[in-house]
Amino acid sequence: MDRIQKIAEEIVEKFKKSGYEINRKDVYKRLKLLIEEFKVPESEAIRTVENYLIKELDISRDKLVSDSPLVKVEDIKTPGQWVSLKAKVVQLWDSSSPNVSQVGLIGDETGIIKFVIWAKANKPEVEEGKSYLFANVVTDSFGGRMQVNVNRNSRIEEIDEDIQLPPREVEAVGALVAIQQNSGLIRRCKKCNRVLTKGICPVHGKTEAYDDLRVKGVIDDGESYYEVILNQDNIKYLTGIGLEEAIEMAKKHYDREVVLSELKNRLLGRYFRFTGRKGERYFIVNEIDFLRYDGKEKAEELLSKLSG
Amino acid sequence: MDRFKRSVARRVFAFELNEATHRIESEEKLVQLLLPTGVPCSRVFIVGVLLDREETRPDSDFWKIRVSDPTGVFRGFIGKFQPDALESLLKIDPPEIVAIVSKVRLFEGNRTVVTLRPEFIVPVERDVMNYWIVETAEHTLSRIENMKKGGKELVEEAWRIYNPDLSKYEERVKEALEAVISSPKVEEEEVEEEKEEVEEVEVEEFEEVPEFSDEFEFEEEELDLSDILG
Ligand SMILES: [Zn+2]
Repeated sequence: MDRIQKIAEEIVEKFKKSGYEINRKDVYKRLKLLIEEFKVPESEAIRTVENYLIKELDISRDKLVSDSPLVKVEDIKTPGQWVSLKAKVVQLWDSSSPNVSQVGLIGDETGIIKFVIWAKANKPEVEEGKSYLFANVVTDSFGGRMQVNVNRNSRIEEIDEDIQLPPREVEAVGALVAIQQNSGLIRRCKKCNRVLTKGICPVHGKTEAYDDLRVKGVIDDGESYYEVILNQDNIKYLTGIGLEEAIEMAKKHYDREVVLSELKNRLLGRYFRFTGRKGERYFIVNEIDFLRYDGKEKAEELLSKLSG
Repeated sequence: MDRFKRSVARRVFAFELNEATHRIESEEKLVQLLLPTGVPCSRVFIVGVLLDREETRPDSDFWKIRVSDPTGVFRGFIGKFQPDALESLLKIDPPEIVAIVSKVRLFEGNRTVVTLRPEFIVPVERDVMNYWIVETAEHTLSRIENMKKGGKELVEEAWRIYNPDLSKYEERVKEALEAVISSPKVEEEEVEEEKEEVEEVEVEEFEEVPEFSDEFEFEEEELDLSDILG
């Protein structure tokens, strides 16, 4: 059996499982034309033929049951499983590896997971904010975290549904108890946006760079804590120090670290109310402000409860 | 994922922290204090008045600090192992309202003393102190509630070890809240008033812990080594 026969067989099987008898020869002929004559990539050829059959039979793609089982992100716990999932692209990352076509985060209402589309998979690119069916992808674990890999046998299909993301837009109140390394006036690699340490990009080495302002910190409410990232806008809103001001400060003192110490003085130990969405580890802060309320009123309230 | 875990900063009044004398070991082999209200504690967030800073020996760069809240005084040490905190400390002119995040240590000498080993110390506004007192009151009251309910392992252990008089704790919480209510309005705040308040607190705290700093230095070396290695 040649390769095209085999693919034809798979398509026939797939439709059969869903209760549809189709003409094997017809499928073979169409595949051969696309793949051999027109040099269409296999996955596209398969998709094209399947779409043709779906139209012909007047059925919806959802009726085809041979895809790997449809799961939710939270169900993905073991590596090496073939699954399908409907998910929205949350974030695309810059990939430095030529083997990777796209990498980033996708999510549904149960969670968010990293995905990798291998270059070899030869898939059309996905876009941030759009929802897709990721059919027949393989679960994997990397650095202790689960991810899904899109390979040649997978299928990515844009869907009309707007997949909801988990309600991870948290609102919380707490004190800023730490500002971590790589905060303040930082430099990022022009190629990949990664933060440089001592002028070096972890991927591109010595490289062209640009300035950015951010705070990576920990907001703690005494019961739990949130690792947060404040961007330029958040920082400017809180302190009046934006990127321009920060660069000015650094110039004036011939020292970029002044920005960080100033931010520490203004922000550490203060209470904040913020909203943010959880990425893999950090909460990406959306809005943040100093906590403001009448402490006396609250104290009265507690006292009356205590006496009552 | 657990490698990212850090200990939360507990909200605890000086009165309670200073009563803690018992260590417990958690699953991660982390040594923590057991608070008299039945929760583990290895880090605290405090907002109070830095009363004074005093170098333990000339040019040792090892400073003893005292920080008060309405219920008592926290004692702590800042040395070269906490460069950030040391740098800020030297810029502060006490008395001043400061926020501190700190590891807690148990010093077992003639008597058991809880001390702070601040990660940072930074001057903050008065309303931050009010928030802290209110928040710490809330947390303390909720721990007291859990003590009354009983059942949890650490709660039972706290009963066994400390047998705390919870009404006394509630009394201290009340006093702290009253301090917030009677605190000057932020706009009217004057340095003068702060000074007065400070002196009062100073009186009620004991002064001398003999041979304390000497013995302590030895411990400091030990502890910080283990910190670095751990
Ligand atoms: Zn780079």
